[in-house]
Amino acid sequence: MRRYDPRWLIVTSANLLLWWLTGLANHYSAGFAIHFYLGGLLIAYAALRLDPKQGLIATVLTGLMVDALAPVPFGASLLLYSLVHVTVLYGRQRFPREGAVFGIVVALLANLFLFIALSFLLVGANPRPGNAWLRIFADLFFSQLAILVVAPWFIALQDRAMELAEIHPETGRPVAR
Amino acid sequence: MFPKRFDQARPFVTLGIILLGWIFLPLAVKSFSRATFFEIQAPLIVADSFVRDLQTFWSNKAHSKEELLKAGKEVSGLIAAYASSNDRIAYLDAEVLRLENLLNIPSMPDFRFEPARVARRDFSGWWQRMIIRKGSNYGITVGAPVVFAGGVVGRITEVHRYTSVVDLITSPTLRLAATVSGDTRPISYQGGLNNSFTSPRGTVDFVPLDVYATAAASKHLVTSGLGGVFPPGLSIGDITSLESSADGLFKSGEVQLDQRLGTLTEVTVLVPLNPEE
Repeated sequence: MRRYDPRWLIVTSANLLLWWLTGLANHYSAGFAIHFYLGGLLIAYAALRLDPKQGLIATVLTGLMVDALAPVPFGASLLLYSLVHVTVLYGRQRFPREGAVFGIVVALLANLFLFIALSFLLVGANPRPGNAWLRIFADLFFSQLAILVVAPWFIALQDRAMELAEIHPETGRPVAR
Repeated sequence: MFPKRFDQARPFVTLGIILLGWIFLPLAVKSFSRATFFEIQAPLIVADSFVRDLQTFWSNKAHSKEELLKAGKEVSGLIAAYASSNDRIAYLDAEVLRLENLLNIPSMPDFRFEPARVARRDFSGWWQRMIIRKGSNYGITVGAPVVFAGGVVGRITEVHRYTSVVDLITSPTLRLAATVSGDTRPISYQGGLNNSFTSPRGTVDFVPLDVYATAAASKHLVTSGLGGVFPPGLSIGDITSLESSADGLFKSGEVQLDQRLGTLTEVTVLVPLNPEE
């Protein structure tokens, strides 16, 4: 009998948790005019550790989840996340992708790209784009800092979830605990 | 089996297929997916706001009887003041109605006041929005104005079953017609100047040349009532600087907004009673 493969569900659920926690942090930091965006971290594990099919399913679902809450054209995050995902997928064999440090570096670079891409997409609506960039760079700084703090925990959480499900993230084969 | 060269490019081919699939996906399917993914997350968003309410409730329970008695006295004073204001408002409403009938002018838009708790604030350099805990289940409509004690909060942009999304006046995506208090000439207001660790600000354009404002002698900005969304006279903020625009025909400037906009916990939605107008 074929065993059900829950890897995409584990990663998507973890992403949903992180997205919710980020929203909570943004709720409380609104008074200080600081915003955290951790999109890069949502993709890193799926792109580095999962097999291409399961990883892409998780990334597509995460993109749709993010798009549903953000006032961007529906599908913008989906396509940007998928682009980052396939780029990481293309080059991941050349790097020590099992290491947490490499995961953090990928999350930081992915977040940088996504943040700037979204900013170019959205900054046109601002009456003073020059002024808007100041705020955008402040948000980018705090977001990268947050990734640096949160990424080791988040990657470990997904690793642990895979262990609990007794499943290897890349092959999907059962592993003994 | 694909050749190795193609195998390496396969992720990008998959991306191309996703892109094409997304472009040709019918709009109805996209709208349905968006609504579905929003509603899946809505309980999570609302849950933490209920937990916050519970925290407030238990912290209030910890107050001593003396504190409650003092608060009760203050509230009874406020009730007396509001009762007097209500009488005055009823008199003024009757007067407005009499003048409308006498002068045969169309009546002012009427609203139902729907208070709502703020479930989530989302203030970035890209957008400034909040999610409130009432939606179509309370008859809230897209475009309805949202206010608080300090004036305008924003406008409803999305209505879901149990939640609604408010676009704030601090957001660059919100524009509205305003006037300087005591003047009737319309001015264009737009949000969008939200630097970190500072009060939110907005911009004004098309300000008449004879209007002057500085940080020391600011001018109060209120809604004009034009456009039919916001009733006239609602406070927006204070114009703190003005300078001539490039064409020299008008002035442009900055508006200092209420600092409390970043920490709101409760707002009131003005639901139009006659939305067809």
